[in-house]
Amino acid sequence: MEYVTPFDERVREPVAHAPRPEDLCGRTVALLDINKARGAEFLDRVEELLREHGADTVRAAKPSFSRPATGEQIAEIARGVGLVVEALAD
Amino acid sequence: MSVLPDVALERLDGPPVSIADLFAGERVVLVFVHGDCPTSLLALRRLAAAGDSAARLVCVAEEDVVGAARLARRAGVDFTTLAAPAPYELSRTLGIETVPTAVLLGADERIVGWDADAYERLLGVELPGEPRLKPGCGARSIEAEPAGGLDELEDMFERGWTDGLPVVPPTPERVAAMLGGRDPDRSLGRVPPAHGEATLERVASCAVLAGCRPAYFPVVVAAVEAALEPAFNPHGLAVTTQPAGVVAVVNGPARERLGLNGGIGALGPGNRANATIGRALRLVLTLTGGAAPGALDRSTLGSPLKVGVCFAENEEASPWQPLHVEHGFDADASTVTLVAADAPLSISEHRSRTPEELAATLGWAAAATWSPFWWPMDDTSLYVVCPEHSALFAAAGWSKERLREAIYEAVVRPARELQRGETTPTVWASGPDELIHKWTDPEKIQFVVAGGEAGRFSAVFGPCDGMGTRPITKEISWST
Repeated sequence: MEYVTPFDERVREPVAHAPRPEDLCGRTVALLDINKARGAEFLDRVEELLREHGADTVRAAKPSFSRPATGEQIAEIARGVGLVVEALAD
Repeated sequence: MSVLPDVALERLDGPPVSIADLFAGERVVLVFVHGDCPTSLLALRRLAAAGDSAARLVCVAEEDVVGAARLARRAGVDFTTLAAPAPYELSRTLGIETVPTAVLLGADERIVGWDADAYERLLGVELPGEPRLKPGCGARSIEAEPAGGLDELEDMFERGWTDGLPVVPPTPERVAAMLGGRDPDRSLGRVPPAHGEATLERVASCAVLAGCRPAYFPVVVAAVEAALEPAFNPHGLAVTTQPAGVVAVVNGPARERLGLNGGIGALGPGNRANATIGRALRLVLTLTGGAAPGALDRSTLGSPLKVGVCFAENEEASPWQPLHVEHGFDADASTVTLVAADAPLSISEHRSRTPEELAATLGWAAAATWSPFWWPMDDTSLYVVCPEHSALFAAAGWSKERLREAIYEAVVRPARELQRGETTPTVWASGPDELIHKWTDPEKIQFVVAGGEAGRFSAVFGPCDGMGTRPITKEISWST
């Protein structure tokens, strides 16, 4: 039986994860604060630990946790860094 | 030995393989499993953890390739896995009735269910740990199938084209009737979070699935247009851990034209237009948009609202401007307004005799919505005022604006009573006796009139606080 799909099949393809780096030395990690309560404190500690492992860090913040980061913000992060840590929730 | 079918089976770690290739002089044990069987998972995990075996193990999953891959991943299987989907030719030939079943090719030896000792003997490995024995499950190959192949309603569940309830299969004929001559490729935009494109054809498919009559389609289209407005924040509402639902309110002539219910039982079941329009919108969001519960929809508890809520405003029983006129549309326009909402809270009030008393009851009922100490709330609360309540306000000459102000002013508490648990920075920054309102602004309080003529039960839909969403009204276009 033939049916009309409600799905946009183009977007159902799974996207592969980027390969995991061997180590953090000399790499730049973006720390994205989604702007939920105390997310910045969590990222402060993560940043400390990453630096102990030799990584450079940059901080970024979304204007609101309830909306996606802007395309511009994502492009900016993707241009400058190799890894991202996101403080997802409170 | 059975004569094996010469079928090529999809394998996960290489090109398709035929059963004949599997012999190739080796001692091969096929382990038949499927993903709904806990004993299959147990067997695969234990076998995956075993050391080198005296036989070559091959997992035969009664699944398609995706299902087989998922099962292999869950079990940590590192040996060859084959996908052997319906019609289960290999299982049927070998008479597999139970999974797991291990079959030593070229011999009569087999193990049915999980039997650690028997596997140890067959494979020459150690399989420590409990349980030693566990009964298996029915193989998919022996599950009853209706004559003529898979039932079309069951097929919809298999495909995942559902919200969990049976759906109407979207055949090309039904979708064409739903489209009514509209351009199937016209796009209403991309639906977050997966950003599937809401072409009219896909929206029509969802409307068919939901059980809509073609006459309802213009309302579904307008509702999808409203849902995709950035100011509605469709992305946040789709993925949040909140129980965020969407309420659709229809105003204007569309209500009578389509038989939408705004009277007795307006928020309940029993009316096809109400039930299916709300459901069609949800299916667009969850199927085309990819916000499937537990996948990209991360709502902790979910909500009955996520099945879909649509009702008409009872404009005839309302003493006030209807919702769409308040939002700037002509009274004779047909519109749909979407409000992002928490579950409705019923408000019984049969004793008030003054508008002030009734306003206070309606207002204080909302005091614990979102969270009891979270004052003020910054997103929309939607009151559904029943006709007996609205008549009391009408008799006193109260406008919507006056009621809105009265509720806003009535519901205040000193900051000291709110300084605990989940509360706002505003409360912490306030002096102990400073009065805090339940809403940041009276405009966050919205009203529609609906319900039967008897009974004094209104309701309030609490807000999706923090979502930064606002009600969106769209005019319904009847043209094709």
